[in-house]
Amino acid sequence: MQKKIVITGFGGQGVVLAGRIVGKAAAIRDGLESTLVQSYGPESRGGACSAQVTIADRQINYPYIQHPDILVAMSQAGYEKYKALLIPEGILIVDQDLVTPEAGAGGFSVPSTRFAEEMGLKMIANIIMVGFFTAITDAITLEAARQTVRESVPKGTEEKNLKAFEKGWAYGRSSLKARAKKAAGQIGAFA
Amino acid sequence: MPDYKIIVFLCNWGPHAAFQHLQDQGADIPSEIKMIRIPCSGRITKALLLRSFEMGADGVMLLGCQSGTCRYGSGTRSAHGNTSETCRILDLMGIGADRLQLDNFLPDRPQVLLARLQAFVRQIYEMGHSPILPHASVRGEAPAALTPEAIVAAHDVFACQDCGKCTSACSLALAGKPYSPREIANRIIAGRADDPDVRQAVNACLTCGLCYERCPSAVNFPAFIRSMRAYYHHHRLVEAPTHGGFFQSMMRAMTAENLLPRRWRDLPAEIRTRAGAPVLFFGGCAPYFDIFFNRFLGVQTARILEDSLRLLNFFDVEPAVLENETCCGHDLLWTGDRENFLRLARRNARAFADSGAGELVTACPECYHTLAHDYPENGVPLPLTVTHIHEFLEREIDKGAVGFKPLGATVTFQDACRQSRFDGRSDLPRKLLARMTGTELLEMPESGSGAVCCGNSAWTGCDAYSKSLQVKRITSARQTGSEVILTACPKCQIHLRCAMEDAMRAEDLQLETMDLTSAIARTIYWEGS
Ligand code: SF4
Ligand code: SF4
Ligand code: SF4
Repeated sequence: MQKKIVITGFGGQGVVLAGRIVGKAAAIRDGLESTLVQSYGPESRGGACSAQVTIADRQINYPYIQHPDILVAMSQAGYEKYKALLIPEGILIVDQDLVTPEAGAGGFSVPSTRFAEEMGLKMIANIIMVGFFTAITDAITLEAARQTVRESVPKGTEEKNLKAFEKGWAYGRSSLKARAKKAAGQIGAFA
Repeated sequence: MPDYKIIVFLCNWGPHAAFQHLQDQGADIPSEIKMIRIPCSGRITKALLLRSFEMGADGVMLLGCQSGTCRYGSGTRSAHGNTSETCRILDLMGIGADRLQLDNFLPDRPQVLLARLQAFVRQIYEMGHSPILPHASVRGEAPAALTPEAIVAAHDVFACQDCGKCTSACSLALAGKPYSPREIANRIIAGRADDPDVRQAVNACLTCGLCYERCPSAVNFPAFIRSMRAYYHHHRLVEAPTHGGFFQSMMRAMTAENLLPRRWRDLPAEIRTRAGAPVLFFGGCAPYFDIFFNRFLGVQTARILEDSLRLLNFFDVEPAVLENETCCGHDLLWTGDRENFLRLARRNARAFADSGAGELVTACPECYHTLAHDYPENGVPLPLTVTHIHEFLEREIDKGAVGFKPLGATVTFQDACRQSRFDGRSDLPRKLLARMTGTELLEMPESGSGAVCCGNSAWTGCDAYSKSLQVKRITSARQTGSEVILTACPKCQIHLRCAMEDAMRAEDLQLETMDLTSAIARTIYWEGS
């Protein structure tokens, strides 16, 4: 098993922290191998910044990602930069209000920034995204992700962050359920 | 088997003449039959029919004149309607529809009447005794009723500052009734609890809680009224409830241990329930109400339960339901019958425990308040958490990925007293309404915890002022410009529709009613990303 994940957005969204949580959860809690490459150098200033996380159940020899299996885009610029690299059967996840994927791109979306604003803290959009990612991709386990969130956020903000994580996770589970229901043709309470 | 009790109500006109003929002949009329002469079979209400069973009858036969020969004109027709509706309720309750039968006779057919009576008695033998046994004595089980002095002290009614805020807020006073909660309190404090007019006033209170909401000294007037009703009940001084006490009879009958209601038999096939599930759904009395009121109001409150189950299924919850579910006992508690309330409560608590469920979901604000608060406060704790369907929906919808189609009408919302004031949750339905995209809520001037009552509670004290209150409420709802009044309680819907029946003002009072839960079930859908 090997999963190559690119999380992208603009500076200040906590993209790198999100990547670090995913990688740490896999390595420390789920007992897998993982690597993290972060880029927020001059080439991305004002544009896309990204975290590249590889998770595998065997040794990882090369940490750079050419063709991600999973692309998480929290900005339009990030999406534009990486969309063509996503493998055809890959999973695309976007922030619903910040990214408009091309028609027919499929994938999943979550209004993480809007939820974060509703919860009174714009800074936690990335944690909502981690929750959503955990529910949709199965790349890391729920418990590992939850524990890692608790350990990776500033002291005193654990509860708020965990709530944000749960919010994203619940939304992810609902999205999967919605997809399954639609596939089965049951769309409303009466259908 | 001499201990069978079979009641035969005989119209004085046709059937009684035939019966008398049999008596004169010394015919073999079964000895189990107790004959009661009545002026007209159409006068025997549903309440009287059910009361016979409550008092321990094993079978009841109503004998009227042949259609077209009734000297009251519509007697035979009324008897037919009353009997068939009561039969349906007996069936649902698990007493058995066949225990109540209607027939028509003219004076010239005594032998046919005799054969009919004998056959009925044989049929009752085959069915066995009614599962309802009359309660010989229930006093022992009940907490001794307090004296008025003790009740005043227990509710700290002395804290009243005589400011009159309660009276100026009171739903009944607003409807024009000369009615003053503080005056009632004062008179009871002054030792006049036994005056008939005080008793009447205690009975008339809607227990809507508006006075308590406004009272600066937090005198809990509805709770005080409830205790006073228990006092009157204990001394057998209760006022007659509405609808002849039909619903109170029904609830008391449901305390019978070996009664096995057949509650969920008619659920639509597509609704999924599962025995032994961790979530239990409690329906309440709506299906009984629908049968009782069907001729007049076309109410369909059982839909609320079906729609709740559909919504649980929508969110992948297949709940358990109790086939022999009984009433929660709200109305018994609020009319002062604590003995029977406690019997029902204990019976329900046992059934809930046996189900093994950890969570109970209910769609009725009265059931919710009674199960979640009144049971434990009256010494019957429940082994599961009680959740109102609005809370369940809010929890699930908040997770996301669901959307709403527009309902296609502007709506206003009638708060249920038990939810808005007693539980302090008028925010819950509004949160849900806010989520229903494309459905505009137009609030009435009095809404939320200050909303005016639907005009009645616990099937007691309904009078012209209740009606006037309902008319005002509907008028106020119409003035918002809404096309639909959404309700949150089956009884609110019944009461508002009752007022809309007014033939003289039908035009001015028409407004579609729908329960909020049903409105959600009709519009919710899974949203794809
Ligand atoms: S509002 Fe309270 S304090 Fe004022 S008269 Fe009524 S019961 Fe008494
Ligand atoms: S509970 Fe309602 S009807 Fe009864 S006194 Fe108070 S406001 Fe009036
Ligand atoms: S308001 Fe109507 S339904 Fe309610 S008790 Fe009065 S008459 Fe009956």
